Amino acid sequence: MIKRLFTILILLTFTGGIALVFAAGKKESTAGKSAYPPGMEKWLKEAKLGPYQEHPQNWKEIEAKAKEEGEVVVYSSSSRIAKVAGLFEKTYPGIKVKYFDLGSVKSVEKTVAEQKADLYNADIVTTGGSGQVIHKLLDNHMIVNFVPDTVGDRIPKKYKEPLLIRINEAIVFYYNTEAYSEPPIKNIWELTTPKWKGKVVTKDINASLSVFMGFATIVQHAKEMAEAYKRMTGKNIVLHDGVPDAGYEFVYRLLHNDLIILKSGGKVAAASGKRGQENPPISIIYFTYLRYNDSKKYANGVITPLDPVEKLVYPTYTAIARQAPHPNAAKLFTAFEMGSPKITKDTVIEPPYTKGKSAELLQGLAPYYDPGSASPRADVPKPRGGEIWDELKGWDVDPDFMWYEAPKLQDFWTQQAAK
Amino acid sequence: MNEAVRAKSTIITKLKYQLIRIRYRTDILLSLIFIVIFSFLVLFPLVKIIVNSLTYQDYDLRLVRNARLGAFTGYHYIRVFASSLSYSIFIKPFINSLLVGFGVTIVAMILGSLLAWVIVRTDIPWKRFFDSVIVIPYMMPSWVIALAWLIIFKNDRIAGEKGMFSYFFGITPPDWFSYGLFPIIVCLGLHYYSYSYLLISGALKTVNSELEEAGFIAGLKKSTVLRKITFPIVLPALGSSFVLTFTRSMGTFGTPALLGLPVRFFNLPTRIYASINSNNTGDAYVLALVLVVLAGITIYINSRIVGVRKSFVTMAGKGFRNRPNALGVWRYPLAFLIIFFLIIVFLLPLLLLLWDTFLLYPGDYSISNLTTHFWVGKSNFKIASGEPGIFRNPGIWNGVWNSVRLGVLAALINGFLGLFIGYAVVRNRGTRLSKSLEAVSFAPYVFPSIAMGAIYLGMFARPFGPIPALYGTFTLLVLIVVVKNMPFSSRSGISAMLQIDKSLEESAGIQGIPWFKRFRKIIFPLTASGFLSGMILTFITAMRELSLIILLVTPNTRVLTTMIFAYEDQEEIQHANGVTIILITLIVLANFIVRKFFGNKGLTGLKET
Repeated sequence: MIKRLFTILILLTFTGGIALVFAAGKKESTAGKSAYPPGMEKWLKEAKLGPYQEHPQNWKEIEAKAKEEGEVVVYSSSSRIAKVAGLFEKTYPGIKVKYFDLGSVKSVEKTVAEQKADLYNADIVTTGGSGQVIHKLLDNHMIVNFVPDTVGDRIPKKYKEPLLIRINEAIVFYYNTEAYSEPPIKNIWELTTPKWKGKVVTKDINASLSVFMGFATIVQHAKEMAEAYKRMTGKNIVLHDGVPDAGYEFVYRLLHNDLIILKSGGKVAAASGKRGQENPPISIIYFTYLRYNDSKKYANGVITPLDPVEKLVYPTYTAIARQAPHPNAAKLFTAFEMGSPKITKDTVIEPPYTKGKSAELLQGLAPYYDPGSASPRADVPKPRGGEIWDELKGWDVDPDFMWYEAPKLQDFWTQQAAK
Repeated sequence: MNEAVRAKSTIITKLKYQLIRIRYRTDILLSLIFIVIFSFLVLFPLVKIIVNSLTYQDYDLRLVRNARLGAFTGYHYIRVFASSLSYSIFIKPFINSLLVGFGVTIVAMILGSLLAWVIVRTDIPWKRFFDSVIVIPYMMPSWVIALAWLIIFKNDRIAGEKGMFSYFFGITPPDWFSYGLFPIIVCLGLHYYSYSYLLISGALKTVNSELEEAGFIAGLKKSTVLRKITFPIVLPALGSSFVLTFTRSMGTFGTPALLGLPVRFFNLPTRIYASINSNNTGDAYVLALVLVVLAGITIYINSRIVGVRKSFVTMAGKGFRNRPNALGVWRYPLAFLIIFFLIIVFLLPLLLLLWDTFLLYPGDYSISNLTTHFWVGKSNFKIASGEPGIFRNPGIWNGVWNSVRLGVLAALINGFLGLFIGYAVVRNRGTRLSKSLEAVSFAPYVFPSIAMGAIYLGMFARPFGPIPALYGTFTLLVLIVVVKNMPFSSRSGISAMLQIDKSLEESAGIQGIPWFKRFRKIIFPLTASGFLSGMILTFITAMRELSLIILLVTPNTRVLTTMIFAYEDQEEIQHANGVTIILITLIVLANFIVRKFFGNKGLTGLKET
């Protein structure tokens, strides 16, 4: 019987395999915009999107049509989308939000898989993963950029083109404020010294695009990293064999300094932040987890000043999916995500942010209204304790670098982490 | 009449004959249908994964200039097996997988066979109690012991709170003891011994003492009897438990993920998971194939050595006695030793998990830190990020519902499919059709769970043949669990059918009673107990499944096991542990109810695999 099984397996494998190899081979653009796929032009016209947008946008009509559509389907990388959905349904009764909290990798994956199969389930795709979102989804017209004109002119150009950003977040460096009265390091390269061997914690880059983007952005700034090294040691950096530049060298030295890799951000924040530790590590993880200081009694503090960088900023985009079945509800949801146009620089917003008057003003921003996140809108005041966002010097994630260079970094990381 | 016309008419006649034959032979029709369905669900995925591993995937376009999506290439194989990355992607995880596989198998088989021998073949007290309790670890997810291990032996490498051991004794366990290979082998060994126990005790129960006594009378030494008579009889069971333990522990994901990462210990499953997560599907497919091939080789070697099919029965209608070996003074000490063992592998982990759910801050075992918040508390944003207590948590109840639904649906579908397959195989016994069906329904056995999840993810993310895009639906979870359990349920279906003589059904057939009625009135009642034991087995496996579905579950289709992992990730330790306890309670309860009301069949189904 076993023999039989193998014979069958082998036979089927070969015949099927060969047939499929020749059947495959569809060409697909991977860089740069391609032409509209069939059917898209018509949909854009009907949905008044892309080149067929009205100026100004007719929000009365959009809202009325959205109510007729009655539903909006959201693919999201953020678990807090559940709260956004709840607030939206309260504001617009009659429009149901069907959200899929998928994480960034699967949000992109699911969108791509469905679009390739001409299945149009999603209305909104809101996710991180800069390289993928711009060069995979946007370049291949799987999503469309839509900037609500209610707040559009209050958003700097780099945050609405080529694609609207709904929230900026960052990777930062935490120390335990209970164990250390002040930040224990001043230069990022100190993390690679024997003093911090086995005492730096981060999340597996294979499990988090955001953390990965953070490291990639450090690697991208090789020149600044080399200068920072010189400022610390007074000497020029000497690279290890096969390491291309000071950015990679930092990753190399960090990994070989017994960097502790954990599988979740929660664990990383806990590692540096839990109270009662004698010799707590430094962690490299999401800025927004500073909120655990409140909700879990952690003692994390952001390391500042830190040479050469203190925060690595990565965006969460929001876009309307191609052939979205509920385009008007999608527009309404996009506007909601960006917060009410009534907010100005001088608006006082009191906690709790997700309830009452504050929630009415913040709308979809409410669940993200914490010191570790920042609205792209220039006119939204910072939440309590949020001034620190502007004070930290940061580098922005570059979608092009993420798309073209990041896979190399991933391989480099995998290779060095195993040694 | 010329040649062509004659040939044509012969073909038509033959076809007509076959059609009529099928009309009256439901078993043939069933065989054909099942072979088509399973080829589609099992063999096609394998083909697909092979094809994908030989063509450029999305991710590769970013690494390889001039690569064209879907074009033929050996790139993945070179990358995995013969590049500067091979050491980290393949060689090290491969060695680790083998080490885990062998380590766990040795620990599990020694424990399992010793326990089986003591409980079946000696006069140890409380036999019945031991026999039913000792398999409880089988009902727990394999990584529960790993969770408990972390609670006790966590050291300051991953920082955060202290482990229980260092809290109470002030001694910090070394890294090799807390994380990596050693604890993985121990934790998995303490779970998988139950497989060996079930299989080996089943075989031992069928060994007639007279065979051994005959040996003694012939003047053989005790060791010779053991070596020459007892051992060969249980050899097939030993072989089966080797294959089962080795292939499963090599392909397991949960425990290595919990205990491995802090010391960068990757095995093939965790490497596959990492590759899939970073969208690098090419690597994942090749590694998944490595696991499939490894499992295939293991099964092949086993079939060579043992030389017989897996179900091996020595029971006959003749006088049968099981004369236990006398333990003498060791009777009670040994019994207490077993009780102590059970406490360590079953009670202690559960109690620790339970204790942890009552701690306000994990790692602080003082009285003042006790709370019932995590069970009955309302959402409080100062604790656990506002996650409400377990009994007030609609998300968890939804998970309970999904888990139970998955378990019951899979059990029902597998139970019936197993019966039908058993019927089709047994009625056609000896024919090529029957053999093919048996082989195809056994094929999912070679797929390590995580690899199968990876394959199904790729296959059902978009519409596939007549099937719509199933990714993100509950149906997909049911489908994969059913297919993965097919080898077990078809085996129990076949052995149940073997007990029924053809003549029973034939006599009804002659009276013109239609097939469906014959099946319902004659065959089903006669096989009901085998059917039930197969179902409870599937239910247990489905309820505690993680590796298989971790890649396929989305927040809307969360089941308890994936929720436990998610809570664990979010460092909501109390919630993770509480949900684990709920899950185990549900499984044990279901098993208890089935045993209570439908006879003492319980887990015996595994023996038929």
